[in-house]
Amino acid sequence: MRRSLQRLAMVVLLLLAVSMLTFVAMNVLGDPLFNILGPIAGDTENPESIAKIEAAKAQYYLDKPLPERYVRWLGDFVQGDMGVRFASDGQPPVTGLIKERLPRSLVLMGMAQAMALLIAIPWGISSAAGSLGGVDTGPRSWRFLVPFALKATAVTYFAQSLFGSVVGVVMLSWFIALLLAHQFAETVPAARELVDGVNKTMSGFSSALSFGFISMPNFALAVSLYYVFALKQGWFPLRYDASDGFFTRMWQLFLPALTLALPGSAVYQRLLRTDLITTLQEDFILMARAKGVSKRRVLFRHALRPSMFSVITVFGINAGALVGGALVVETFFGIPGIGTAVVEAILREDFPVVLAIVMIVATGFVVLNFLVDLLYSVLDPRVRS
Amino acid sequence: MSQDVSTGGVIEAIEPEGAQAGIVKKTLGPGFWLAVGWIVLIVLLAVLAPVLPLKDPNANFIDIQGKGRPPYGPSGDHWLGSDQDARDMLSRTIYGARVSLVVGFSAVAFGFTIGGTIGLVSGFVRGMFDKITSFIMLVLLSFPALILAILITSLMERSLLTIALTLGILSVAPVGRLARSASLVFSEREFVLAARTMGAKPSHIMLRELLPNVLIPMSALALLGTAVAIVAEGGLAFLGLSVEKGSTWGKLILTGAQTRQLEEAPWIAFVPITALFLTVMALNFAGDRLREYFDVRELAL
Amino acid sequence: MNNPDVLLDVSDYSVGFRTERGLAQVVDKVSFQIERGKTLGIVGESGSGKSVLNRSLMGLISSNRQIESGSAFFAGDQLVGRDRQDFWGKRIGMIFQDPMTSLNPVMRIGRQLFEPLKQHLSMNKEQASQRAIELLTQVGIPEPARRLRQYPHELSGGMRQRVMIAIALAGEPELLIADEPTTALDVTVQKYILDLLKDLQTEIGMSVILITHDLGVARGRTDEIMVMYGGRMMELAPSEELFSDMSHPYTEALFSAIPRVDQPKHTRLTPIAGAPPDPVEPPSGCRFSPRCVYAQQDCTINLPEADGPGDHKFACFYPVNTDDGRSARAANIENGQTATGLKIQTAGVS
Repeated sequence: MRRSLQRLAMVVLLLLAVSMLTFVAMNVLGDPLFNILGPIAGDTENPESIAKIEAAKAQYYLDKPLPERYVRWLGDFVQGDMGVRFASDGQPPVTGLIKERLPRSLVLMGMAQAMALLIAIPWGISSAAGSLGGVDTGPRSWRFLVPFALKATAVTYFAQSLFGSVVGVVMLSWFIALLLAHQFAETVPAARELVDGVNKTMSGFSSALSFGFISMPNFALAVSLYYVFALKQGWFPLRYDASDGFFTRMWQLFLPALTLALPGSAVYQRLLRTDLITTLQEDFILMARAKGVSKRRVLFRHALRPSMFSVITVFGINAGALVGGALVVETFFGIPGIGTAVVEAILREDFPVVLAIVMIVATGFVVLNFLVDLLYSVLDPRVRS
Repeated sequence: MSQDVSTGGVIEAIEPEGAQAGIVKKTLGPGFWLAVGWIVLIVLLAVLAPVLPLKDPNANFIDIQGKGRPPYGPSGDHWLGSDQDARDMLSRTIYGARVSLVVGFSAVAFGFTIGGTIGLVSGFVRGMFDKITSFIMLVLLSFPALILAILITSLMERSLLTIALTLGILSVAPVGRLARSASLVFSEREFVLAARTMGAKPSHIMLRELLPNVLIPMSALALLGTAVAIVAEGGLAFLGLSVEKGSTWGKLILTGAQTRQLEEAPWIAFVPITALFLTVMALNFAGDRLREYFDVRELAL
Repeated sequence: MNNPDVLLDVSDYSVGFRTERGLAQVVDKVSFQIERGKTLGIVGESGSGKSVLNRSLMGLISSNRQIESGSAFFAGDQLVGRDRQDFWGKRIGMIFQDPMTSLNPVMRIGRQLFEPLKQHLSMNKEQASQRAIELLTQVGIPEPARRLRQYPHELSGGMRQRVMIAIALAGEPELLIADEPTTALDVTVQKYILDLLKDLQTEIGMSVILITHDLGVARGRTDEIMVMYGGRMMELAPSEELFSDMSHPYTEALFSAIPRVDQPKHTRLTPIAGAPPDPVEPPSGCRFSPRCVYAQQDCTINLPEADGPGDHKFACFYPVNTDDGRSARAANIENGQTATGLKIQTAGVS
């Protein structure tokens, strides 16, 4: 309890420091008066302009010293009033823009994180499963056949559409050969060797792939995915259109979300794999196997949960990187979200918007990491007591 | 990683410690040297670009009669094709490396000098100084880095110096935090305590005892940091906010990334993407291997 | 196999591992039988191969570096060379050394206990929870219903070992393998757990393999005892006979290393000098010869095979209870050292 209170105090202090710095920077670097009034702000000869300047100064407390303005701004912000935008078409409230843009970005980032986990967990488990030994994957059980068939279909389909039908046919015959090799692995040594060799190659391929995802800059990944899947294959729409229906929009967000998700998924996969391999050497895994639990159940029910700690820690940290990624991805795919809003705002020197977004992002980051801390105790009963 | 992990400690018990820890672990592997080779190659190409027999990166090689309207695909003339203004992609990519690499390396140099010093000192002296610097670092880390970068670059003249400086400032906090934790660990070691009891001056201990030890793990991080800085520069360029003069990989990718360009001439985007990807991967891989080699687990994140 | 009372019939069973340095023969041609309802004790120092023998028999070592040979019939089914997963929990139960680490820390006791019940006995949740309470009561855990909702860290070591026994019994196995079940426990708790195992065995009528490094643990709780050293079987005899008429010098050495009630007070315990053999490059001849006070020249040349009258087998050229053995020892004491160069301190040998 005491610790949580201390943490909370620290968090508040942190957010105050962030807001103060940003507020001062915004007000020192830019001239708010000029941004509100435009060229009139510099016109101190004309009495009409002077009157306008005075009125604006009074309205926005610009005649008050900086610390007082900060306190006023903070008071308003806490109550949900983020001030007005510096725009040529009057001064619309910042809140309106945020309300319109924020949900879109949240959906995008949420989708990305969910995708990253959905990819990373099976990937991590299958890349660590080798250390549990080759049991439970007999070629006649549906537990082997169903994932195998799914994998074969997906890979063949991808190969066929990306590289033409010749490659597709080659892939398909390869999978049939592999299935036969699995079938005879127990009796024919050559088949066993083939299966082992393929497994080894695949694990090398998997780690190379994950390293590749980590090293691919998000903008380069965005261009590549867009080129292959939207432009060449036409599987995904080229543009985001805010006026489309809900499901169409979700579909339009798929590729941008995937762009954000892939590097994250590779990071999660690597962490999960390392932790899983450690967990799988624990005595309780041996015990679970000795009581006859299936390999699948050992992996998913016994080993996964105690191996998730690094993943959720980085999950929180990754949220910060995701904001930077969203900036790039939203700009490239033309999604009017909070990322594009901040880029536009900075370029137009619309400082109240920048201030509001920086605060929202910082608060969101802090809150998320606080939740991650709570999640530890959900995952591990020993932390609770 | 071998496949045998669940042998219930049997293999581990049979093999003496040295067999695995001594020989298998303590090599950097051919992949590391391949990665280093690529980095050296790119650096050499970038440095020697003006002397190399390359086409002028800014000249337009328009050849309406022979080839029609640009962009031209890869050919004997232009090995990696040309862009929409008939400029040679190979030489543009190599010249682009100059800016990307200079930004990457100098940002890291800046961040490591400032952040490393602050971290080293605050991990060693502790007390009030450590508390204050730690809080400042924490505040800096709470800013979304790319937003901060855009903010700074949008307000200043976008020269090579300001971009490098911006990214350098942004790397101070993360580097400082890591240097602090390394310094904290080593400050507790016997050799530092011994130097203290012998009455060595704090400055002497930090320079002679701590610095060499902190430098080793930090060298691995410098490579990873360079990769991050190069990517960040690319991201800024992609948003149209990098260096105004000259080409960088990010800017090249941006020009190739328009839908029309991608459809007509995908190589305009994919030549610099490949160069960037391979360089970042090489830096990451080399850094990762070094980190494993020095076995610095506490710096893993 | 001919005898329907024999549950497990192991002959010439060997386990090796390919390592960087060469083949490590961890278990070397071991043969034994267990009848239904009987208990076999397997005794040896750590590194003697006793744990590997059982894990390997169970098929729990999943390494492509492992090489298994010989035969092992479990109720007529050959175990060697096949996937043994359908035996786990259902026909062969296993409990491990350390109850602190052998229970899943993030799973309630109930769920860990329900798993084998649901899987092997196809029980639904209600039946499973009822049976789980019965099992916990059977292993002597108070307030069983409450325990089901607890996590392992909320229980003491002894309690956890009881839970582990309950889990192993849940699938109603015909054979229970207890691998050093009390080593990690407090001395005061050890006896309770061992007695519990004995009681359960008589109650249920299953066979038990009790693996231990402590001859004293096996005494009185086993029907037969097999002594292993360096992956080989040194001696195999009915329990009472082993203690009254031990033949192998290693058994004798193990026996002098444990405190006994029938000894006069302050008798010196004799530790066994030296370390267990290297499984990759074992000593030539008898594996124990470098540490044996009886060792003669031929012990370092020829490898003794386990043999003997009736059901008492031993692998030694100079058994302790024979004239050969006595004169061999006397000669070594006289020389001050054995044929392998082991120095004998006369003071230590009474």
